[in-house]
Amino acid sequence: MLAPHTPKQNHLPAALPAADYERLLPHLELVPLPLGWAVYEAGGAQGYLYFPTTSIVSLLSIMEDGSSAEIAVVGNEGVVGIALFMGGETTPSRAVVQSAGYGYRLRASVLKTEFGQGGDLQHLLLRYTQALITQIAQTAVCNRYHSVEQHLCRWLLLSLDRLPSNELTMTQELIANMLGVRRQGVTEAAGKLQADGLIHYSRGKITVLDRSKLEARVCDCYAVVKREYDRLFSRKPAIVARFRDRDRAQSSPPAVCWASDDAIEPGACRASCAPSIN
Amino acid sequence: MLYEPGETIRHVYFPGASLVSLLTLADGHPALEVGLIGREGMVGIPLVLGHNVSSVRALVQGTGTAMRMTSAHFRKEFGLSLPLQQVLYRYTHTLMAQISQTAACNRFHVVETRLARWLLMTHDRVKSDQFRMTHEFLGHMLGVRRVGVTKAAQALQKRKLISYSRGDITVLDRRGLEAAACECYEVVKDMHDGAQAGHAMRKMRLSAAA
Repeated sequence: MLAPHTPKQNHLPAALPAADYERLLPHLELVPLPLGWAVYEAGGAQGYLYFPTTSIVSLLSIMEDGSSAEIAVVGNEGVVGIALFMGGETTPSRAVVQSAGYGYRLRASVLKTEFGQGGDLQHLLLRYTQALITQIAQTAVCNRYHSVEQHLCRWLLLSLDRLPSNELTMTQELIANMLGVRRQGVTEAAGKLQADGLIHYSRGKITVLDRSKLEARVCDCYAVVKREYDRLFSRKPAIVARFRDRDRAQSSPPAVCWASDDAIEPGACRASCAPSIN
Repeated sequence: MLYEPGETIRHVYFPGASLVSLLTLADGHPALEVGLIGREGMVGIPLVLGHNVSSVRALVQGTGTAMRMTSAHFRKEFGLSLPLQQVLYRYTHTLMAQISQTAACNRFHVVETRLARWLLMTHDRVKSDQFRMTHEFLGHMLGVRRVGVTKAAQALQKRKLISYSRGDITVLDRRGLEAAACECYEVVKDMHDGAQAGHAMRKMRLSAAA
């Protein structure tokens, strides 16, 4: 790779105000993230928060019988290790590098101090957490309702969004582990996409040939997560801080909208509706 | 209905004896339950994360009381109290574990074991052997159609673990139900117990209501 590494390849450090970024910079350590490496194990202690730059990390739920299913994908838009700032000591999931590359890591103690100060880093990390929750919830739906082919399309698009090229290094076995399906199912689904000219698959390398066709075939889950992410990060943290200060200054409690794109008609609030299920 | 996806959150809720389901909408399919919140938690997590829009539907399941606070008031209190922040970050993390486990559960486990799991989660929160749950609601929980719900409920009834009649569910054999449920139940419960969110939350709730 010719371009020099910088933490700003990850969207979160890139969104920090200059002063915060400069303060953090000496603590951000560049590390290679090799394919298949476990960033953390289920139930294991986590010493660092990782900001992937050119790599992709998969969060997997592991079942008692050893089978696994991906619950989220993290790349240059996010961080791996949110348990560190959310205060849960461990997580029942496992984080594995699914596409080799680099990332920056931040020592847990430094992170906790920074997070505790309640500045822009805290705001960014919490917003990212909200986006991650949406991704996980959507995966629950996707796993319930959609076909292996749709999962595969979604997974390819999620990966592409986080990589600089249209090529993925990946075996069918790994994909099967990520998607929680049998290898045979992946072979069939990939074969179909290849026959239709959407991808080319050869010896552990997948090349996406027609992204727009992939987007046409993917389930809605892909767009839902992307929209939520765009909505959460369309505003600069500085703006969030400004609204926070405004909130502090306000003592009367009318429902506050943070920005116009969050606004809805007042009549749309059904908070006082009686629960009527039967 | 407390929240709809994309709507501004006006209140946060602390369920007492009531239960609130978080549902994700899917086009062409019934909404699917991804999380269940009772006395151990709070409805309105996006506010904890600095966001005032819900990405899920929040639906009250069964009747019961809950305390609520306006979003503006909550944000003010939240900003002032470090212990409140810590408790709610931790709770959010356990809720995420619940949603994650649901994602994996939906991939691997059959309807009957998933039904047993949701019944146990409900049982833990309502603290009563009897509760109401309509077919429609169970369908949301499991992401299956009515006939699938009926079959699974009948199977559990046949094993004398529950009795089920027109939406009235009675847990007859809690231990048997635990054996019938998938491992996902234990995994999430351990997280909740570990976080001890419930205890701290009750304390916090008293001060928040004051």
